[in-house]
Amino acid sequence: MQTPRVSRIGALAALVTGLAVASPAAAQRVDWPSEQPPPPLLRRHVDFPEYQIRSLDNGLQVVYVGHHEQPAVNVRMILRAGAATDPPGQPGVASLVGQLLDQGTTTRSAQEIAGAIDSIGGALSVGTARDLGFIDVLVMKDSFDFALDLLADVARRPAFAPAEIERQRNQVLSGLQVSYDDPAYVASVVFNRLVYGFHPYGLPQAGTPRSIRTITRGDLVAFHRTHYLPNNAVLAVVGDVTAEEAFAGVERALGDWRPGPPPPAVTADNIPRPTRRLVVINRPGAVQTVIHAGHVALPRAHPDFMAFDVAIKILGGEGGNRLGSVLRTARSLTYAASADIAGRQIAGDFMAKTDTRSAATAEALRLTVDEIARLRRERVRERELRSAQDYLAGSFPITIETPNAIAAQVLEAILYGLDVDEIEYFPERINAVNVRDIERVAQAWLRPANLSMVLVGDASVFLRDLPGVGFDRIEVIPLSELDLTAADLRRPSRFRR
Amino acid sequence: MRSTHRASRCAAFRRGLLIAVVFGLASAAVAPVDAAVRPPKFDYRITTLDNGLTVILSEDHSTPIVNVQMWYHVGSKNEPAGRTGFAHLFEHLMFKGSHNVRSDEHLSMISSVGGEGNAYTTEDVTVFFQTVPAQYLPLVLWLEADRMATLRISQRTLDSEREVVKEERRWRYENEPFGLLSEILYDEAFTTHPYKHQTIGSMEDIEAASIEDVQDFFDTYYVPENATLTIVGDFESDYALQMVEHYFGRVPKAKKPVPRNLPREPEVTESRRLTVEADNWPLPAVVVAHPITYDGHPDAYPLHILSKILSDGQSARIHRSLVYEQQVAVSAFGQGVIIEDPNLFYAVALVQPSRTPEQVAAALIAELDRAKAAPPADGELQRAKNQFARDYVIGRISIEQKGMHLAHAQVIHDDITTADAEFDIFMNVSREDVQRVAQTYLRDDNRLVLTILPRGSRRTGQ
Repeated sequence: MQTPRVSRIGALAALVTGLAVASPAAAQRVDWPSEQPPPPLLRRHVDFPEYQIRSLDNGLQVVYVGHHEQPAVNVRMILRAGAATDPPGQPGVASLVGQLLDQGTTTRSAQEIAGAIDSIGGALSVGTARDLGFIDVLVMKDSFDFALDLLADVARRPAFAPAEIERQRNQVLSGLQVSYDDPAYVASVVFNRLVYGFHPYGLPQAGTPRSIRTITRGDLVAFHRTHYLPNNAVLAVVGDVTAEEAFAGVERALGDWRPGPPPPAVTADNIPRPTRRLVVINRPGAVQTVIHAGHVALPRAHPDFMAFDVAIKILGGEGGNRLGSVLRTARSLTYAASADIAGRQIAGDFMAKTDTRSAATAEALRLTVDEIARLRRERVRERELRSAQDYLAGSFPITIETPNAIAAQVLEAILYGLDVDEIEYFPERINAVNVRDIERVAQAWLRPANLSMVLVGDASVFLRDLPGVGFDRIEVIPLSELDLTAADLRRPSRFRR
Repeated sequence: MRSTHRASRCAAFRRGLLIAVVFGLASAAVAPVDAAVRPPKFDYRITTLDNGLTVILSEDHSTPIVNVQMWYHVGSKNEPAGRTGFAHLFEHLMFKGSHNVRSDEHLSMISSVGGEGNAYTTEDVTVFFQTVPAQYLPLVLWLEADRMATLRISQRTLDSEREVVKEERRWRYENEPFGLLSEILYDEAFTTHPYKHQTIGSMEDIEAASIEDVQDFFDTYYVPENATLTIVGDFESDYALQMVEHYFGRVPKAKKPVPRNLPREPEVTESRRLTVEADNWPLPAVVVAHPITYDGHPDAYPLHILSKILSDGQSARIHRSLVYEQQVAVSAFGQGVIIEDPNLFYAVALVQPSRTPEQVAAALIAELDRAKAAPPADGELQRAKNQFARDYVIGRISIEQKGMHLAHAQVIHDDITTADAEFDIFMNVSREDVQRVAQTYLRDDNRLVLTILPRGSRRTGQ
C-alpha cells in the first residue's frame, strides 16, 4: 500500500518546523535541537488476514490460515485434554499421555518417528497445558501430506509401550528433581495450590513424584480413549498450501477418525474462595526471593474479562505497569515486576510477581500488595487507562504479523468458546473500556485482604522484617518438607528427610 | 533488557528436562529428502551516511508495521579489565534519557503507540530494537538519533541502574538452577581473550563502574561509524532514507577511530580435566569443550552442520547414545558457539544418578571421536542440511527476524550479501568437510573435560 503523498509532505514540514524552533543553547555536548517527537505519518489500514474454518463430519474443527512467503507449513492440533482433565488425585496423567504420544504408535516405533521427522528437517512437538493438549508438526511445504499422516498417527494410535512409559516416567522424575531446585517453579506451583486448592488447576501439571510413580498404563490408555477424539479437538493448518489442499489433506488423513461421547466437563466445584495466606518456602542461601501474590478471578469467557485484563495491565503490564514504576524505576529493587491474568476454561486468576534481593523482600512484598489495594481503592486516571489502551489497541497489527500468531488467536477463541469474529475488532473493544468499567471490575474481582502470597527465598534474612511492614500469620515451610498434596503443604513428619 | 542470547540456552537446557523425550535410532525406513525447498532472497538497500552510519532498508508490506534495529558493534568482549558487565550496564543506561527524552520515556513512548521495544547485549554487539505500527517510523528514528547524539549521563541513574543489573544477575544466573554453567565453563576454557568472562559481568565489576567509564564508553563506541541501522517493514525506502538522513545526518562523526585490538587467545596445546563445585546445581554435569573458529571462516559452516549431526533432534547422536541407548545421562546436548571471534564447541550431559561423571565423559568423548573416525552417512548429512533449511526458513518470517539477519551479516561478516549467500554454502557442505573439521578442532590435545558437582557433594562423598 502506498502512503498518500500528503502525509509525506506533512511530516517533512514537521521536520523543518522542528529544526526551526531548535534551541542551540539547550544542547548538551553537541549542537542538537530541542524539539518535540515528530508526528506520525498517515495511519495505514490494518487488514485482518483471511482465515477459514470448517468442520469434518466427525466433529473435528479445522482452521486454515494461508501464508505464502516462506515455503513452510505448520499443522497444529489442540485437544481439550489439558491437566485440568486429570483424573481426581492423579496429577500428571494428562501430561504423561501428551509426552508419550510421539513415543511410538501401533504402526511406528519411537525411533522411527524421531528418525522420520528429523530426516526431512521437520519438527514435531507434543505437550500439555492446563486446558489443552497439543501436537505440532512443522515441515517444508513438500512434506505436507507426511505431516498430516504423522499427526494423525500420534493423535490416534499411541502405543503406550511399557518400556517407553518407564523411560518417560524416569524423565519426569528427574525433571521434577531439578524443578524443585528452581525457585520460580516452586513459587508457581505453591501459588496455584493456594489459589485453586485441590482442584486440578491447583495441582502441578507435571504431577508430583508420588503421583508419577503410581500412574499405570491402564490410566494412560483410559485417558487417551476418553479425551483424544475428533469432536474434542481443533486443528489449524498454517502456511504455504492452498485452502483446498489444506481441507482435502485433513479430510484424507483424519476424516475416518471416529468420534466418541464428549468427555465429562470439568467443573469449578471445589475451587476455594480467595483466602488470605502467606507462605514462605525457605531456601537457605538463596540470593533472591521470588514473590507471587494474587487470587482466583474470572474465566476466559467471562464478560468482564477484557476490562479486568486492562485493569491488571495498568497494575503490571506493557503500556502501564505501576509495579514496574515503583519496584524497578523508583526503588531499584528488582529487574522485573509484572502482573498478569490467567483466564482459563472454568476459572482464572491474577498474579503479581517480582524477584528481589533477599534483604529487600519485606519492602518489595509490601509495595506489591499496596499497589493491588490501590487499584481497587482508587479510580484509575484517564491518562493511565489511555496509555494502556493505546498500547493494547495499537499493538494489534503486531499481534497478527505471523500466520502462527493469527492461528493461535483463532484456536484460543474456539477453545474458550469466544466469538471468533470478534478477534479483528479487538482494538475497538479495548477502546470501549472506560475508567468506570475499570473501577467496577476492580471492585468486583480484587480482594486485597484475601491474597495468596508466596515467598521462595532465604527466610533467615527477611522473616523478621515481615511483621514490621504489616505481615503476620506466616507459614514457613522448609523446601525439603514441601508437599503440594498436603493441606498444610508439609510432608507428614515421619516422611521428612 | 536482556543480557545475552545464548545465556538462555541454560534455561532451555533445564526446561528440556521437564519435557525431555526419549528417542532412538534414526530410521532407515525413510529415504533422505533433498532440501529442494528454497527460501526467497532478501530485497534490501544499503547505504552509508557521511558520518559513517550504515543504513539497511528492506520493504515488507504484508502487515502495516515496521521494525527498527540499531546495532552498536560493541559487546562484552570490548570491556576493559576490571569492568566486566559494563557493555550490558551501559545498554540499560541508554534508556535513561537524552536531550529531548526523559528517563524511561523511550520505551513508554514506544508502548504508547502500540509498539514493542527492548535491547540486548552479547559478547559482540549491543542491539536496540523496536517494532511499531508503520506510521510511527519517524518517532523511532527520532528517539534512536536523540540518544545516539545526546545521551544524558548522571551518577544518580548509574547508581540506580547498577542495582537493577545486579538484580538481573541474581535472577538470571545466581538464583537459577545450572544458571552459572557458562560462567564456570568460559572462565576455565579461556585465559586471555575477553570471551573468558560473561556478558552479565561480575558483581564486583558492576559495582566498580564509574561515571567516567560511562562517558568514555559512549564517546568511543556509541558513534555513527560503529552503528548499523536496519529498517524492515511497511514503508517506502526513498522516503525512509530522507528521514534517516534528517535525524541521523546531524549526529556528529566520531572524534577518534573505534578500537579493534583485542587480545588473541593462545592456542590450546594440552588436554585438561578438572572438577569444580557450584551453587544451585541440582545434578552432576560433565562438559567437554574444544576451541573452534570464528563466524564466517570457511570451517564454520561444516562445524555448524557437525553440531546438528551431533545434537539437533532426538535422533541426533549425543542424545540417542547417552540418553536413550546407554542411559548414562538424564539430558545431553552439544553446540558450536560460532561468533565473531574464535569460541568453543561444547557438549554437556547431566549425569544419571546411578552413573558416574567418568562414564558420562567417556561416552561424550566417544561420540566426538566417532565424528573424527568416519564421515557422517549420506542420510545423516542430508538430515542436518534439511534441519538447517528449516531453521533458515522459519527464522525469516517476522520483520524483526529479517532485520536481525541483515544486520548480523553486515556487522559480524562485514558483508551483507552473506545474509543470502550462506544458504548455498551450507547446502554444499560435504561429508568429508564434516569429518575434516571434526579432526581439525575436536582434538585430543585441545580438550577440556569439566565436571561440575553440586556444592558440598565432594565433602559428603555423594
